[in-house]
Amino acid sequence: MSELIAEKQALATILEKFPFLEGKLEIQRRQRIISSALERPLFEEVFGFVTTDGGFDNFHLVIGVDDGDNLGFIYVLSNDDKVMLSLKQSAPKSNPAIKSVCSVFPNALWHERELVDLFGAIVEELPEGPTYPLPDGWPAGNYPLRKEWKVEYFDKVNMTYNPPVTAGKEEE
Amino acid sequence: MAKNLVIPIGPQHPSLKEPACFTITLEGEKVVNAVVGTGYNHRGLEKACEARTFIQDLYIIERVCGICSHIHSTTFCQAVEELAGVEITRRAAYIRTIMAELERLHSHLLWLGIAGHEVGFDTLLMYSWRDRELVLDVLAALGGNRVNYGINTIGGVRRDVTPELIEQIRKVADIVEERNKYYIQLALSETTLAARLGGIGKLSHDDAIKFGAVGPVSRAAEVPDDIRVTDPYAAYDEVPVTAITDNHADVFGRTVVRVLEIMESVKMIRFCLDNLPEGDIVTKVPRKIPEGEVLIRTEAPRGEDAHYVRSNGTDKPDRVRVRAASEANWHGMKHMLEGDYLADVPIIIAAIDPCYSCTDRAIILDNHDTGEQSVTDWRSLREYSINWYKVRGIDTSKIKIAYSPLIF
Amino acid sequence: MVALFNILVFPGFIFLGVYALLFEFLDRRIYARLQNRMGPPWFQPLADFLKLIGKEAVIPAEADKKVFPALPIFALAAVTTAFLYVPIWSGNSLLPFSGDLIVVLYLLTIPTLTFFLAGWYSTSVYATVGSMRALTQLFSYEVPLFMALLAPALLADSWSISGISQFYAAHPLYILINIPAFVVAIVSCQGKLERVPFDMPEAETEIVSGTFVEYSGRFYAVFRMAIDAELVVVAAIIAAIFLPFFTANPVVGFILFVVKTIIILFILAVFRSVMARIRIEQMVKFCWKYLVPLAIIQIIVNILLKGVLPL
Repeated sequence: MSELIAEKQALATILEKFPFLEGKLEIQRRQRIISSALERPLFEEVFGFVTTDGGFDNFHLVIGVDDGDNLGFIYVLSNDDKVMLSLKQSAPKSNPAIKSVCSVFPNALWHERELVDLFGAIVEELPEGPTYPLPDGWPAGNYPLRKEWKVEYFDKVNMTYNPPVTAGKEEE
Repeated sequence: MAKNLVIPIGPQHPSLKEPACFTITLEGEKVVNAVVGTGYNHRGLEKACEARTFIQDLYIIERVCGICSHIHSTTFCQAVEELAGVEITRRAAYIRTIMAELERLHSHLLWLGIAGHEVGFDTLLMYSWRDRELVLDVLAALGGNRVNYGINTIGGVRRDVTPELIEQIRKVADIVEERNKYYIQLALSETTLAARLGGIGKLSHDDAIKFGAVGPVSRAAEVPDDIRVTDPYAAYDEVPVTAITDNHADVFGRTVVRVLEIMESVKMIRFCLDNLPEGDIVTKVPRKIPEGEVLIRTEAPRGEDAHYVRSNGTDKPDRVRVRAASEANWHGMKHMLEGDYLADVPIIIAAIDPCYSCTDRAIILDNHDTGEQSVTDWRSLREYSINWYKVRGIDTSKIKIAYSPLIF
Repeated sequence: MVALFNILVFPGFIFLGVYALLFEFLDRRIYARLQNRMGPPWFQPLADFLKLIGKEAVIPAEADKKVFPALPIFALAAVTTAFLYVPIWSGNSLLPFSGDLIVVLYLLTIPTLTFFLAGWYSTSVYATVGSMRALTQLFSYEVPLFMALLAPALLADSWSISGISQFYAAHPLYILINIPAFVVAIVSCQGKLERVPFDMPEAETEIVSGTFVEYSGRFYAVFRMAIDAELVVVAAIIAAIFLPFFTANPVVGFILFVVKTIIILFILAVFRSVMARIRIEQMVKFCWKYLVPLAIIQIIVNILLKGVLPL
């Protein structure tokens, strides 16, 4: 293992501003810093800081994950030392509202549209445009990358989702 | 013309090899607005991966893209190996590197041909694809297939290189290097080609960073961003890599970067063959992968590939996210197209070496019915096709098939 | 009776058709060999033609029902007529008259105009862009091509192709004076024939097939035939004006005609295989900046020489 100087420096900059994040950010290995899930107002504050003064001004991608009751959105950023910071935002599945970062990073547009289509995220301030990547005629309210959505119940010909009618299972 | 003309390029168009839709608004011959629409190739790969084991996923991931299949499977393997805490042997790492560089050769030669075709220079297409055929033969000898080689496995590689194969690779590397010198000269000096490629599809240094461009697109704008250098994987920590950059920031610059990268790849292949360590090619990896998450970046021929894999401690991944190189390059496309001529649209689109399937990802082959597996070789496949036609009254058995790719 | 035979069979319609198909084959074959490919067998152009004839011909709902099918026939008729004034087996063409050079050049403009109209009446966006390009292209190559062909005529003091041919046959060394005009003619006729590097009106990878995108079946077959025939006629005119070698023996003369036109075709095919398609605005610039001045210089030189040289 090398010295991880750049990683420690980047981490220290963030922790200096947000001391309560101690323990929530971790140097995973060379060039990787990962965070545990942050709730919305706090996430926006941290994100606003790291992308400006924090030096993480390259945006790579957003990864949506299903954490059970919450949806997680991992924003992968990097700085000039090629240190990748994965900042994770979480939002409850009942109201997965997040704010678009398109105004800061134009290349986030398609990734966020993907979150809308595949995870059912409600991305505020997302520019108007076509949906991506699901086809036209996809049944509304079906978010295929959520864990409760099963491929077996999807009728590819008629494009309908038919979960078995069992008690207790709520229809998405 | 008083009225602006709206021209749809795609979803079906001769210059697009895969479906995508570009709605181009013209003022005379000038593009004033461009809307990029993709998503026609979404095949639900990421969902499919969650329902299968890691080793099954490897073969799905390999089919994300037909051209950069090896690099995708390498990335996925690395992610799983890192989660499992397994280090692959040096020999396996070198073989992966050789494979990756051969793949870069074939991808860049393919691109050169397509670029020639898009600007109406079909001779270049025929020449470069002829040379690419040699690379494909080597890839087939190494991996077993012309595309989707299937050489990677979690924990190493499935096939070893033999001394004869090393000789063959060297021979092909020599030929490709020789031919590529001609292409470099051609790309740099052919006047009609330079007139068509120069000054179009501009994406300046700042814009390349702003739109997150990767690979040759960003390197042509003097962004020295090459994952092989900045975040070495496989054997790139030992192999000398030079990131090729150029300052043209246009389609011409991307061409220059690519043809020069072919030279670099040839050098790297030679280095790997000279320094190929002895040892095993595969390390045992447990079926159940410990809990954790990992993000791996690699340098595909088209740019940076990023795979995110999360495991929940079982033999199936919890989440797989594939961000292919093309997906990153699409963002700047609108910017590149606007202000140029309609005639330049196909070559600008082609210049990022787009891979629509990569962008949209995924594949599910719907043949769960039988579950049977069988191995069919090329000869029996041919016999099958001859019989198939014979039953229908056509005899194709007289047709001779050239097995050698070199018919000069 | 003889006139009818001449018009319909030799050297008229049938001969031109067969020779055009042969030309297409040679063109494709040379092009393929230069690209390291095998190329098609000799009957491929004929097979393509027959196949297209047999296919369903679709007229788009938005297109003009009368003009749309008539345009290919106009194109072919104009080209076939032009061929009657080109010398084939001797120094004389079938129906020579003073000023036939001008008539032939105008007849050869008709196909380009029909391409424009074909694109315009198809009402497809690709075809519209293609027809705009065809017209823009017409204005850029037509002037240098005309001037390049008229310069030798000035020196020969004849406005008939046969007359020019006979003059240069009598004074073979004067051909050397016309070399710049020959170059201009070869380059600008690439534009006339819509071949790479000047194939913007068709430009498969940009606007699908440009003006012909809506054409199918027999209409397209006739258009293809007209394009091939135009290639023959243009090669024959250039051969007659710039390579005027012929003998009194009609058989030898005919063989000489074949050899000369194939040489021209070879030059055109090499051009096609070593270049990329340029943009329409680059072509306009190129034609007016380089070809036209060169042609003007040629005309001035020829006028001056006419006063000096013993004729």
